[in-house]
Amino acid sequence: MILIPILALLVGLLLGFMLKLQLGGIWQIYMAVAVVAGIDTVLGGIRSALEGKFRGDVFVTGFIANVAIASFLAWFGDKIGANVYFVAILVLGTRIFTNLSIIRRQLLTKWHDVRERKRLDSEAKAQQGESESKAQTVAT
Amino acid sequence: MSADFGSNVVNPFSVRRSENKWILPISVMLMALGFMTSVAWLDNADRSGRIQRLSPDQRERLSLGTLNLAEENESLRSEVTKLREENTKLQNAVAQNSNASDSLNKSLQEMKLFSALTPVQGPGIAITLRDVKTGGPDEIASMGQIIHDTDVLRVVNELKNAGAEAIAVNNRRVGPNTNFRCVGTTILVDETKIASPVLIKAMGDSATLFGAINLPGGILDEIRQTDPKMVDVQLVTDMRLPAFSGSTTFKVAKVPVDRP
Repeated sequence: MILIPILALLVGLLLGFMLKLQLGGIWQIYMAVAVVAGIDTVLGGIRSALEGKFRGDVFVTGFIANVAIASFLAWFGDKIGANVYFVAILVLGTRIFTNLSIIRRQLLTKWHDVRERKRLDSEAKAQQGESESKAQTVAT
Repeated sequence: MSADFGSNVVNPFSVRRSENKWILPISVMLMALGFMTSVAWLDNADRSGRIQRLSPDQRERLSLGTLNLAEENESLRSEVTKLREENTKLQNAVAQNSNASDSLNKSLQEMKLFSALTPVQGPGIAITLRDVKTGGPDEIASMGQIIHDTDVLRVVNELKNAGAEAIAVNNRRVGPNTNFRCVGTTILVDETKIASPVLIKAMGDSATLFGAINLPGGILDEIRQTDPKMVDVQLVTDMRLPAFSGSTTFKVAKVPVDRP
């Protein structure tokens, strides 16, 4: 299941490289900002999925809006001569790190849960076996 | 895989099914993200395009790292081919005595053109450097308001770097061993004294020369920071530069006998 998003990412990359689309000069910078915004939104989506509150509509509109706003801000900053481009990268980068750390914590918690459950299960089984053997010895 | 599917179907908790609903939107958006990344991916050509948007010091740091060796290699290779062809032509000419003098003369003319021994004609740029009137008795400030020998030297050097094929300073052709020195209040070009205004003419692709000489952080930019009036650059569609008239005799250096 986890492979599907990874495959999709590879398909997208291949598609782009095969089409050999070239953006002229400055537009590539806006696209770079848009890519960072996209990474942030996708990580946010994965995070909310792990937290169990993922909503498809929120995610898709969030992706499109974030990408559009980030590249618009970069363009606008160029027009008024302020490097909003750096600010966008900085904020998005911070959010990427936050999202990644939350994802990491969620996964670790899940892993610990599974381990704990297994331990409890095996303990319960051992206890059961013990009482059974006790019952047997009593019977003899 | 089929076991997974089965377990999903029999699972009575519908919540578990909806846990996977994020996979489709995230996959689609990741595909879009991959596409965007590949579009934003930089190759060598784009990188040079983006360099122009960097500040001069950033550009300098970058250029130290990435000289385009591949391009230089290519041009050297084509030059080797050209020279080999020329060699063949000369050898053929020697073999058939009739063409020999013609070919030799052509080769000689090319040599003379290269070493600035013939007048040349073509497009280029004209740069005028001039002193500005010193405002007061402040000696340190007035140092910047005078055109020095090093300024001329650096302009000539940048022009050569930009691909100028022939350069003349105040109508004195710059030859292979032309030098610029400071003598008192004047500048010595080889044996000729010159003073402000200094007119430097360079032959070559006008647009390229114009762009290169006006690069931020370049020598002209530096001079302009003192006073923009000190520098004037004009595009010239057609001009003539005289031949180099200095000494061309060698006293010590000899061609080795065992030359290849």
